[in-house]
Amino acid sequence: MKTSLDRLLHARTGPMTSAMVLRPADFGLGRVPARLNPAATTRSICGFCSTGCALQIHLNDLGEAINLSADPTYPINLGMACPKGWEALAPLAAPDRATAPLLRNTATGALAPVSWERALAALTSNFKRIQQEAGPHAVAVLSTGQIVTEEMALLGALAKFGMGLLHVDSNTRQCMATSHVAYKQSFGFDAPPFTYADFEESDALIFIGANPCIAHPIMWQRVMMNRRNPDIVIIDPRATETAQAATLHVSLRPKSDLTLLYGLAHLLVIRGTIKRDFIAAHTSGFEEFSAFVREFTPAHVSAETGVPVATLERLAEIIGTRERVSLWWTMGVNQSHEATRTAQAIINLALMTGNIGRPGTGANSITGQCNAMGSRLFGNATSLLGGYDFSNAEHRSKVAGIIGLPPSVIPERTGYAYDQILDAIDRGEIRGLWVIATNTAHSWINQSRAREIFGKLDFLVVQDMYTTTETAKMADLVLPAAGWGEKEGTLINSERRLGVVKKVVRAPGQALSDFAIFRLVADAWGCGEFFQAWRSPEAAFQILKDLSRGQPCDFSGIRDYAQIDGAGGIQWPFPESIRSRSDLGENRERRLFSNGKFFTPDTRARFFFDPPRPMAEPPNKDYPFLLMTGRGSSAQWHTGSRTDKSAVLRKLAPTVLTVEIHPDDAAELSIAPGDNVTIRSRRGHAKAVAVVTSTVQRRQIFLPMHFAAVNRLTFASFDPHSRQPGYKACAVAVSRA
Amino acid sequence: MPTSIPDFLSELLAEQNRLDTPVARFATAHASDAAALVAPLTSQLIPLTAPRPGEQYAFQVDLDSCTGCKSCVAACHSLNGLDEDETWRDVGLLVSPSRAHPFTQTVTAACHHCADPACLNGCPVLAYEKDAVTGIVRHLDDQCIGCSYCILKCPYDVPKYSARLGIVRKCDMCHSRLAEGEAPACAQACPTHAIKIVTVPVAVSPSFLPAAPDPSYTAPTTRYLSARTFPPNLVAGDATTLRVQPAHWPLVVMLTLMPVAVGLAGAATVRSTTTPESVTYYVTLYSWIAGALGLGASVFHLGQPLRAWRIFLGWRKSWLSREALAFGAWFGLATVTLIFPRLIAASAGIGVIALYCSAMIYIDTRRQFWRAGQTMPRFFGTALIVALTLTSPPVAALVLLSKIAWESRTQHGQSRSAHLQRGPLTALVAAREGLALISVVLLLTFPGWTALAFLIAGELLERLLFFRAVDAPKMPGQPA
Repeated sequence: MKTSLDRLLHARTGPMTSAMVLRPADFGLGRVPARLNPAATTRSICGFCSTGCALQIHLNDLGEAINLSADPTYPINLGMACPKGWEALAPLAAPDRATAPLLRNTATGALAPVSWERALAALTSNFKRIQQEAGPHAVAVLSTGQIVTEEMALLGALAKFGMGLLHVDSNTRQCMATSHVAYKQSFGFDAPPFTYADFEESDALIFIGANPCIAHPIMWQRVMMNRRNPDIVIIDPRATETAQAATLHVSLRPKSDLTLLYGLAHLLVIRGTIKRDFIAAHTSGFEEFSAFVREFTPAHVSAETGVPVATLERLAEIIGTRERVSLWWTMGVNQSHEATRTAQAIINLALMTGNIGRPGTGANSITGQCNAMGSRLFGNATSLLGGYDFSNAEHRSKVAGIIGLPPSVIPERTGYAYDQILDAIDRGEIRGLWVIATNTAHSWINQSRAREIFGKLDFLVVQDMYTTTETAKMADLVLPAAGWGEKEGTLINSERRLGVVKKVVRAPGQALSDFAIFRLVADAWGCGEFFQAWRSPEAAFQILKDLSRGQPCDFSGIRDYAQIDGAGGIQWPFPESIRSRSDLGENRERRLFSNGKFFTPDTRARFFFDPPRPMAEPPNKDYPFLLMTGRGSSAQWHTGSRTDKSAVLRKLAPTVLTVEIHPDDAAELSIAPGDNVTIRSRRGHAKAVAVVTSTVQRRQIFLPMHFAAVNRLTFASFDPHSRQPGYKACAVAVSRA
Repeated sequence: MPTSIPDFLSELLAEQNRLDTPVARFATAHASDAAALVAPLTSQLIPLTAPRPGEQYAFQVDLDSCTGCKSCVAACHSLNGLDEDETWRDVGLLVSPSRAHPFTQTVTAACHHCADPACLNGCPVLAYEKDAVTGIVRHLDDQCIGCSYCILKCPYDVPKYSARLGIVRKCDMCHSRLAEGEAPACAQACPTHAIKIVTVPVAVSPSFLPAAPDPSYTAPTTRYLSARTFPPNLVAGDATTLRVQPAHWPLVVMLTLMPVAVGLAGAATVRSTTTPESVTYYVTLYSWIAGALGLGASVFHLGQPLRAWRIFLGWRKSWLSREALAFGAWFGLATVTLIFPRLIAASAGIGVIALYCSAMIYIDTRRQFWRAGQTMPRFFGTALIVALTLTSPPVAALVLLSKIAWESRTQHGQSRSAHLQRGPLTALVAAREGLALISVVLLLTFPGWTALAFLIAGELLERLLFFRAVDAPKMPGQPA
C-alpha cells in the first residue's frame, strides 16, 4: 500500500525520465542515451583546425549521423576533442544553409533561387565574357583551407589548366603562407618536421606567438601529457591562457620577436651552447648568421623588446642546455610584416642547437586550418600541384603527364597572391572572381577596402554552405555547397598526417559537394574531358598519390582511404618503400630529418636572416594604442559562419565584442570594466565592451578576430616573402563610448 | 556537351544523397568492441569504492590544469543527449584587478551536488532527491511541475528550464555511468583530466572558490584545487555584466492580485463593522474575483500544470508548498465567505498568512534584492494600501508614498539590482513611480475605483521590477 502510494506521489519513472536514461552502447562508447544508441560508428577527421582530431560519428541504421564523440583510438586526440569538434554536426542543420543556387536578379537586385543549369550557364557565360573582354587572367579564384585535398586539387587544376586562369590563391595566405615560404627556403621543401609525440618528448617547449590552450586545445593536451618535467616557455605580449599555464612567460613588446630571437641566437653563440658538429655537417650560412647576430647584444635586445637581460639569459640557458628543445610558432609569428624571417629565426635556433630530427625537438609551425597543409601542397596556387614549381619545365611536363594534359596548359609562372588579386580587382585588371568557402568580406585585413573592391567586380561567384556570410551576401551567384560531414576526402594536419573525412549527413536541397560542383563547372565550361579520371574523391586521391611520388611529401605508399582510416591516419612521407619495409604500427608517429638530410639541393638547411624592420603603423599621438587581434575562444572558428550556428558554441563564446585593456590605461580614460568603448583606427571604428585586465600591457589592446568589426580597424601590411597580412599590429585610439 | 548537364547533374545529386549504410564501406573496424574504450583512463577519474556513511561523491577540479577549452560543456551536451540549446556545465573566468600581476583562472562548474541543496529544499513537489549513498542530487523529470523555483533557489544557476519539456533539468553527475564504473561525460572529455570524481565528507567545505556565492548557504561539495597562490580581490569575469532577469508574467499578475485580494478582504472586514452588508458584499466579491484571477494566472507559470496536484508534498521545507496550501485554504474560505459573508475576517486572516508564505518564497532564496526588508513591505504594502484605498484614502496615499520611497532605496549603491534599475530598467522604474504618483494624486483628489485601478497598475509594474531587477547569483562567468 505504501509503495503504491509512494509511486503515485513520486513519479520516479516516466517518459521524460526514460528519455535521459543511459544504456550501454557498443563500439566502445560506454553508456549513451537509449534514443541515441548507434547502429554503427565511423571515424571522420574534424574539419575545423589543423590538429586533425578524429571524431567517432554515431550512425543510425540508415547511415545517418545522430551524434558524435571524440575517437578514443586515434593517436592524435586519444578520446578528446575541443567544443568545436563535439559540436561539428550542429552547423550542418542551420536554417541559413544554401539549398539551391542563387542568382542576383538584375531587375530587383536581389538573390533568387535558380536551377543548377541556369547557375552554371551564368558562371560560364559571365566568366568567359570577361575573359574575352579583358583577357583570360581577368577571372581569379580565392579558395580555402577548409575543403578536402581532392577538392583543392581539382579546383586548382580546373581553374588553371581548364579555365586558363592564372591568379588562384586561398585563405591559407592569411594563416600559413609564412611557414610555407620559411620552410621552403630553409629546408628546401614546405616540410613541418614534427610529430605530436614531440610535445610529450620535449625537455623544453618554446611557444612563440601561439596560444594553444585556446587555439589548439588538443595539442595542449599532448603538452600536458609530457612526463619529462619540461620548461614551458610562452613568448607573447599577452599573458594568455597558455602563458598562465606555462613555467615561464616572456612578455615582449609586440613585433619585437625577430630582435628577441636574434638576441637569443647571439647569446647561444657567446655561451658556446651551440652544436658545431651538426652545424658543420648539415647546414649552410651559419658563419654569416653568427656574424650578423653579433650586434644583438643582450643590452640592445632588452631595450628593444622590453625583456629583462636576466630573462634573456634564462631563455638562452633553457634552449642551450636542455637536451630536447622544441620551438613552436603560429599566428603571432606568421601574421607579421617580417613574418618569414621571424619563422626562420626560430628555425635558425633549432638548427644551431641541433634541435631537429630528434624526439622532442624541431622548429615546428602549428598550422591553422584543417587542410592548410593540403592547400600548401595541392592548392595549385604558389606551388604547382604536389609541391612543384610552375617555372620548371620538367615539373610542368611531369604533372601534365600524370594528369593526362598537354603541358602547354600549365602556366609558367605563379599568379598573384591574395592581396595582389584584390589590388588587381581595384585596378580593373581582374573583373571576375570565384570565392570558395572563405569569407573575405569579414576576414580580410582592412575589411572596408576589401568590400569596396568586391563592389567593383563584374561578376562575383561565392560557393559556400551558407547564404548569409558577409561575402555571400555580396555575390552575383551563390553556389550551394555541401559541408564537412556531407562529403568525403582527405585532410592533411599540422604534423603531415593524412586523415579521411566521411559522408554521414545528407546535404540539404540541391547542395553539392565542392568536388561535384567543380566537375559540373568543368563540364559546363567545356573542359570536362580533362578531368574524366577525377570520378570521385577517392579516384582523385590516386592521382594525388602519383603526383606526390618522388617528392618529399611522397605518399604513394598509401593504398586507399580504408588504409588511412584503419591506420589512425598516415603521415607523409609514406613512399611505397615504407609500405613494403615495415608495418604501420611502427610508423604512427614519425618526424623528418632524423638523418640530418634536408630537401635542399646540397641537403643542407640554410640560415636566412634580415635586419628587423619597424612595424608598418606604429602608435603615435593620435592613435596611441597598439591593437593586437587573435583567437578569442575555443568555441569560435574564424568568421563564425559555422560555429555561430551551434547553440552550445554560441553559449560558450562572448556574445559581444570585448576589448582587453590595461587597468592603468582604463583608469586614464575613465573606462570601467563593462563600459562601452569605441576603438578608432585610420580606417574605421568598432564598438566593444571593456575587459580591464593586466594580461595586456600598457598602451596595447586585444580584440578577438571573430567579430566582423575587428578587421575594419586592421592595417594592411604584408610580409614581403610570404605576402601574409600582419593582423597583429596597427595603431588605434580608444575612448569611452 | 550542354545537353549532358541535366543527366550529369542528376547523377551527382543522387550521389550526393547516397549515404553508406553501416554495413557498407567504412563501417567501423572495431564494431565488436563492446567494452568502453575510455575504460583505461577511468580508474584515475573516479573513486574505486562507494562513499562510506558521512561521505559522498563530488566533482574535483584541478584549476591548474583547466585552461578553459570548454570541451567538458560540449561533451556533456553530446554524451547526455541534451537539447540543442541545453547545457549542464559552464566555464567561467576569475580575473585579478591587479595592475602588476596579470592573473586569470578559468573555472569549470556544473551542479555542486550540495550537502544541503537549496533546490531540493525549495521544491514543492519533492522532485529532487539526494542519493543516500552517493550524495548525488538527482532531479525527477517526471515529477517536476516546471515551477522553476529551484532556479531561484540555487545560488549557482544550475537547474535549467526547458521550454520544450516544461520542466527543469540538471546535471546528475552521470550517476548511471558512475554506477557502472564509467566516468561522467565531462571527466571523460577533459583533455587535461582536470575534472575528477572524488569522495568527500558531507559537510561545508572550508574553502570553495573566490568570487563564487557564499558556500555556507548550500554547502556545495565541488573541490577546487590549485597550487597557485590566488591574488586577493579576484573578481568574476562577468562581475559587471548586467543581466535583466526573466519577467515571470504569470507570477507578476498573481503576486499583484493576491495582495489586492487580501487587501480587499481586509477592507471588507473593516467596513463590515460600519457599513451595510450589501455594500461590503461587493468588496468581498471583488476580493474573491481578484484571488481567483491571481490563482488562475499562477497556473500559467507552471510548465506542467497537470502535475501540480502534488504541490503540497514539500510542505515541510518549501515555502512554495506552504503558499499553495495557504492560498488553497484561503480560496476555499473566500468562496464560502461569498455565501456566509460573516467569515470575511477569517478569510482576510488566512489571506495574510498566505501572503506571508508568498513573501517567504522569495526571502528564502537569500537574494539580496528579495530580502525580508524589501519583500515584506512590498507584498504587504500592496495589500495595506488597497485596504486603505477603500477605507481611508489619504492614509493610503501616504503609505503609497512611503512605499515607493522605501523601494527606491534599492536604486542606490553598487548592488546588481541598483545597476539594473539605473541602467536597462530605468524606463520601468519611471513608469512604476509615475503610476504610483498619479495614484497618490487621485487618492487625495478623487478617491475611488479609478484611483484603485492606477494603484493596481503601479503595483503590477513594481512586481515586474521585483522579478526583473533581482540579483541572480551564479558561478563566475566569462566577460560579456
